Amino acid sequence: MIKFSFCLLFTAALAAAAPPKIHIPIEKYKLDNGLRVILSEDNTLPVVAVYVVYDVGSRSEEKGRSGFAHLFEHMMFEGSANVKKGEHFRFVESNGGSLNGSTHTDYTNYFETLPANKLAVGLWLESDRMRSLAVTAENLANQKEAVKQERRLRFDNQPYISAITEKWPEMVFKNWQSSHSTIGSFEDLNAATIDDVSRFFKTYYAPNNAVLTIVGDIKIADTKKLIEAYFGDIPAQPQPKPPDLSEPAPVSSSDTYKDPHAKVPGVIVGYPGPERGSDDFYGLVILDVLLTAGDSSRLQLDLVKGKKSVIQYQGDVGWPFSSADDYRNPSQYATFFLYNPTFQANQIVDQYQEEIERIQKEGVTDNEMRRAVTLLLVSKLNELQTSLGRAQLLAGFEILDSKPEMINTLLDRYAAVTSAQVQAVAKKYLTPDRRTVLAIQPEPGPKTAATEGGF
Amino acid sequence: MQRLILGLFSAVLFLQSATIDRSRPPATPPIPDVKLPDREVFKLPNGLTVVVAKDSRFPLLTVRLAFLAGSKYDPQDLPGLSENVAALLNQGTTSRSARQIAEQSADLGGQIAASSQHDDLTLAGSCLTTTAGEFLALVADVAQHASFPDDEVELQKQNGLQVLRAQRSQPDYLGREALSAALFGNHPYSHIGPTEQSIAKLDKKSLETFRDTYLVPNNAYLILVGQVPPEAQLKTLIANEFGKWQKKDLPKYDPPAFPENRKRLILVDRPGSVQANILSAQLGPNRTSPEYFPLVLGNVILGSGTDSRLFNDIREKRGYAYDAHSVYTAMQETAYANAITQVRNDVVEPAMGALNEDLAAMSATDATAREMTQAKNLYAGVFILRLERQASLADQLVTVHTMGLPANYLETFTTHIRSVEPDQVRVTGKYWSPDKATVVVVGDAQKIQKSLEKYGTVELVKPAR
Repeated sequence: MIKFSFCLLFTAALAAAAPPKIHIPIEKYKLDNGLRVILSEDNTLPVVAVYVVYDVGSRSEEKGRSGFAHLFEHMMFEGSANVKKGEHFRFVESNGGSLNGSTHTDYTNYFETLPANKLAVGLWLESDRMRSLAVTAENLANQKEAVKQERRLRFDNQPYISAITEKWPEMVFKNWQSSHSTIGSFEDLNAATIDDVSRFFKTYYAPNNAVLTIVGDIKIADTKKLIEAYFGDIPAQPQPKPPDLSEPAPVSSSDTYKDPHAKVPGVIVGYPGPERGSDDFYGLVILDVLLTAGDSSRLQLDLVKGKKSVIQYQGDVGWPFSSADDYRNPSQYATFFLYNPTFQANQIVDQYQEEIERIQKEGVTDNEMRRAVTLLLVSKLNELQTSLGRAQLLAGFEILDSKPEMINTLLDRYAAVTSAQVQAVAKKYLTPDRRTVLAIQPEPGPKTAATEGGF
Repeated sequence: MQRLILGLFSAVLFLQSATIDRSRPPATPPIPDVKLPDREVFKLPNGLTVVVAKDSRFPLLTVRLAFLAGSKYDPQDLPGLSENVAALLNQGTTSRSARQIAEQSADLGGQIAASSQHDDLTLAGSCLTTTAGEFLALVADVAQHASFPDDEVELQKQNGLQVLRAQRSQPDYLGREALSAALFGNHPYSHIGPTEQSIAKLDKKSLETFRDTYLVPNNAYLILVGQVPPEAQLKTLIANEFGKWQKKDLPKYDPPAFPENRKRLILVDRPGSVQANILSAQLGPNRTSPEYFPLVLGNVILGSGTDSRLFNDIREKRGYAYDAHSVYTAMQETAYANAITQVRNDVVEPAMGALNEDLAAMSATDATAREMTQAKNLYAGVFILRLERQASLADQLVTVHTMGLPANYLETFTTHIRSVEPDQVRVTGKYWSPDKATVVVVGDAQKIQKSLEKYGTVELVKPAR
């Protein structure tokens, strides 16, 4: 059978000079048990993404249990009433799908992308673990080891990462909910018990604390029936209390981290950011694009090229905890520089602050403003190419803003930002008296009798 | 507006909501067959091959311009030259400065950058469909008129040295570096980047010589995927931008033979490492061999899925590692099998034993019926999922053309996979055999060398710090 597909997603795509507008269809509703559902139909390829996000992340953890949200995410793959340990992977792969899950500061997600006619398999798997997670002491012990190995692999054995994920959060946040690392400490991981797992599951993994998003080649009416059948009778639980994330007024600070794995010096510079979704927030995102996005950005042209001081950099609103799209207040804005060792960390900080001062004094050109909006548009279009990318954005805007339609209006918010606003944001937020600086210095490792010169 | 019809199967949902049996997975129809977009392939008189695939789902055009000019063409005394040509290609032409290229491509909703692999050097980019003409002109300029300005070359040398030092602070890079040197011997596949010496030696002249030798139209493939301009308009555009480019004979490429696979155990000392990164690898046949498809399937069963034997044993059962996986990487002239895991220092000895057991087991018995079905279905599904991104189809087309594979290679891939028999998968054991593997371990020699000695004579390497 040949299927005719329609380009519903984008209008005006081929019309002369008008930039394309994003139009993703959205159907949003709630089951009786409080499970929020977002459906988005697109029949151009027989693919479907099933994406479940729970409103719990590392900022929800209790003191003494750092890393628990992530350890718990591992437990979600260890079996439920009808799906034995390991079978989750097996059922997805044998149906031609791919899967994963990840823990963030403010949410935890679980997802499968499948051939569209395998949708029911994804719903069966996700509903079974939402309804009936089965945890054994053996699996908990085993996953503690896997997580400790993950910590060694991705954090303890790498240059820069410990400074970025453990030292930096402690400098920019005073509230423990925000200042502890998502991976957690070995001590806290060891202390986690089966009771903790059950309690966490009951508190946070309830349908009324989750969003189910399905994007792809679906029929809305049939999909609604399937969702009701699989998820409709999972009981609701009392709504969990959101964590207290309040912070005292920001103060300036600076410190140095000696890194035994690093060979090239680095420095992080950051500032507390504006409230998520405010005009200032969108202004800061544009400012960040102007400063850091691509080869035409100011830091590339002025510091990497002009002063030849910076080698590489990355920055974002929410960095290093998330991207601008998915971080709750209080937000912060940071940039990480690797720099040429003939310079000092404070010179790099001064050069960066001068770039900001130039915007504070002179503003930015209309050309640069247009370019920033184009860059944001293209980066969004690239994210939207996959059904999973669309599901991720829709669900993120629902869980953090209760507004999945932001997927279609976001670009308009960016396009509406004026040059004067960007200038005002730079003046209000990016000042030395609100600045935090962490220099990362290579610390020579233990002496070895190295005489051979590599390969 | 052109519409691309990709789906040949309509999703049908079976449902009796009142009587859902939760104890078993729901019955669903087989994975659908999906047709790839048709490709139009033509050649310009100067030898440039052009491949066009229409995909109208997004207002984007994805472009690749691939040259057979990868790192294997580096002169022996200048490893990393291809990589440096790639890095500098968009840093200035005879008519545009680096800044103009950067600003113009951003204004077109585009980006353009080159990278170098073992066999190919590929310019990759994408733009909004509305700016396709201007963007292709920019790609053509960068490909034909790169000028390697002196100050950009100097900066590349200065920063390239620091980037190399930063890379060599990572255990993964040290592992790949040592493994490539051991596996490929005197063949130019053996280097994965520049050295501090070759960076010091790099100059404008060597860059220009490489450009003039290899970046020629008869050595190139232009691949366009996405919303493309109407056919006549596109052909005129391509002829205008790429037609005047002069063809040129290529030098003879005559590489030395690869070494025989033999058992080696190389320890790369990284004092202070809290883990041992283990790689167990050997050379195997590439895409043109009948053994290739059984190996691809066997790799999934051994270690490339989340339900693979290595994942289930090393991570889920024994808790030695977070990651335990395998890859089978094919290049133009050879391929190699690799099993990879990173374990904590105190379990290096049992982890090596477990890894060797899992690898040897691949030749001892046929793969099970369940493993066969699952691996075949995974490929059938991934084939469809990959079509969601223009870049993914474009990259697959680069592989087909630069590797000289048949035009219907992507179409027949799943069929080849489906026809593999369980006993054929035993060949996986042959190419991952611990008896012939080059094993590279990156870790703190003081802490792990003793544990390794049980498995053979340890060749200790101490990278310069």
